[in-house]
Amino acid sequence: MQKKTEQYDVVIIGGGAAGLTAGIYCGRAKLKTLLIEKSLVGGLATYTNEIENYPGFPEGATGLGLMDLFHKQAKKFGVTFKLTDVRAVSLEGETKVVETFRNRYEAKAVIVASGGKPRLTGAKGEKEYLYDKGISFCATCDAAANTDKTVLVIGSGDAAIEEGIFLTKFAKKVIVSVMHDNGKMDCNEIAKAQALANPKMEFIWNTVVDSFEGEERLRTVVLKNVKTEEKIPVTVDSCFLFIGYVPNTEIFRDVLTMNRGGYLITNERMETNISGVFAVGDVRDKFLKQVATAVGDGAVAGYGVEKYIAECEIFEQQILNQGNPSLVFFYNAVDAGSRELLPKLEEFESNAPHIRVTRVDTYKSDGIAKKLKVDRTPCAVYLEEGKIAGVCEQEITVEALQRLCQEIF
Amino acid sequence: MAEFTLDCLGEACPVPLMKTEKKLNELTVGDVLIISIDHSCAMKNVPEWARKQGHNVEIEEVDDGEWEIVIEKTK
Repeated sequence: MQKKTEQYDVVIIGGGAAGLTAGIYCGRAKLKTLLIEKSLVGGLATYTNEIENYPGFPEGATGLGLMDLFHKQAKKFGVTFKLTDVRAVSLEGETKVVETFRNRYEAKAVIVASGGKPRLTGAKGEKEYLYDKGISFCATCDAAANTDKTVLVIGSGDAAIEEGIFLTKFAKKVIVSVMHDNGKMDCNEIAKAQALANPKMEFIWNTVVDSFEGEERLRTVVLKNVKTEEKIPVTVDSCFLFIGYVPNTEIFRDVLTMNRGGYLITNERMETNISGVFAVGDVRDKFLKQVATAVGDGAVAGYGVEKYIAECEIFEQQILNQGNPSLVFFYNAVDAGSRELLPKLEEFESNAPHIRVTRVDTYKSDGIAKKLKVDRTPCAVYLEEGKIAGVCEQEITVEALQRLCQEIF
Repeated sequence: MAEFTLDCLGEACPVPLMKTEKKLNELTVGDVLIISIDHSCAMKNVPEWARKQGHNVEIEEVDDGEWEIVIEKTK
């Protein structure tokens, strides 16, 4: 089957809080924006029943409800949504390519917002019982199916305990396997107190999963006491894993720089090691993973993409000037010294009509300066045949500029 | 390369997934199954399950809160 090729300014991979925010910024900047999400728009936040710490919602919001608002806002700014998974990417070139099983999308910039996926225990038998066979990662999705049943929750973080409490509304018993000592949990104190007081919840301390057993469906989870090595078989109808996340970065391996855990490394502008490729949200190596911080990442990357694309165009069309003589003057608008040189530049320009002159304010953005390896202002760079032919950093005068350009002739 | 449809409108998890699994078993490689759903939970487990099986999956949002999951059987 021949894949269909489509062109966009920017392709965003992932439709969680970070990807949607980046979409809102790109769409509002009038960029032709495509957002690819593999299943439900909203990402990880939609797995959470209640979001109480996202500013602007004093009554709290449901994850799904909040993400629906993000989605609507992105649509309002003309973002195109495609619900499928990304199979392959090619990011190194000037034109980036993102492939799904039917399409090939070409873009000037790519924002990776692929987030994470639930971490597995790695215990024996786990693969045989994933999803519909008894091991679940989404209480909201599978709670109703466990009405009056016995379920086991693995983990003691916020997600494990809060979702465990939610499950008690349906299940007859919720057993929680905690790897720490009696009474110690990784979650917040409020959730902990609620869980300990919940009559339907039961805790098995100092344990991790040793194996998953059953026939067609999961029947028994064998826990292991980490101190005594004792094996504890627990008969269950379903098991919910809430032991953290791993980043969705397989398709970027050996292409984008990542840390040992597979999280993408970016600078504070969300730029990865490849120019024109940004990473935002939970997929990024960062301190705090929340909707509020994902939104910040998305805004930075959306703005960054807009600047990147604009600068690429100026660079291609104006500065390289099809190989004809081109002089670029870098100044910082907040620095009086470099601002005062602007009239001199005008004088130079009127006497050299064959040279295309470009003024770049590095206070607004330093992308073009970086492309020409300029790290201080004021500075003048002369280009011929698309290459740097000379640089003038000190005592920029009309004569100095003329000398800079004449040395070549 | 026949096309089949499955109406799961108004049905909550895990019903759409169970129906999909059963229906897909009856199909032959290359066939396409289109499942209509309106419960967001099925948007998570149905595509996730199908991809894990190695099938090709694409979703169309046909209306606000209503989707068609397109699965191409690959094996």
